[in-house]
Amino acid sequence: MQTANLPTVFFITEDEIDLNDLLAKITLASTGAAAIFAGMVRGETKRGDAHQTEYLEYEAYIPMAEAKMKQVAEEIRARWESIEGIAIVQRIGKLYPKTPTVLIACTAAHRDTGVFEAARYGIDRLKEIVPIWKKEVSPDGQFWVEGDYIPKAGE
Amino acid sequence: MNKIRLLFFATLRERAGTKALELEIPPDMTVRGLKEKLAAEYPSLRESMKSVLITINREYAFDEAVIPANAEMALFPPVSGG
Repeated sequence: MQTANLPTVFFITEDEIDLNDLLAKITLASTGAAAIFAGMVRGETKRGDAHQTEYLEYEAYIPMAEAKMKQVAEEIRARWESIEGIAIVQRIGKLYPKTPTVLIACTAAHRDTGVFEAARYGIDRLKEIVPIWKKEVSPDGQFWVEGDYIPKAGE
Repeated sequence: MNKIRLLFFATLRERAGTKALELEIPPDMTVRGLKEKLAAEYPSLRESMKSVLITINREYAFDEAVIPANAEMALFPPVSGG
């Protein structure tokens, strides 16, 4: 498939994430399936170190973050030729429990084309290489959440 | 000497006490050399230099990389978006 004209949407925003608007932007006449991953602020964590979260405060190195989101979209297209549209959006600022913070959506003609795996790959890569951080504020205090991935040369 | 701009994010921004710094460095300075300079001149950053991620002109950079003139560099911890 020619990828040059396929819709790819990627940005950092302080505004509410508008799923319908994003879906419209990545839906072609030939699209029949979208896999959407949304992450939200979890107020009550039960797995591992159980705790409550009052809010998360996100920041990003915006120009690099958007460039790396574009790179993640290119990596998706290199792995799944079936993908038509891609949206990668991260909301930053102070975000409270239940609020969507990130959205990855991939569209394709059919659901059995790798579209689920493509969206999964997108969120996994965002968490590895896109320069965004969050500080967690809980009743017990506040701390920066740090990832554990060290990017390699060329990433 | 070459002028460069350093941006700090997350824990690095808090420890540096600033979002950005302008520095003059020798033209052959590497990323490792810059880390050593920052550790020596900014005690609050010394501990962070062991695990910091560094970028040059918005690409990840590693110890041996020579820093070009007018580089926009950033220092930050492993990312935690999502």
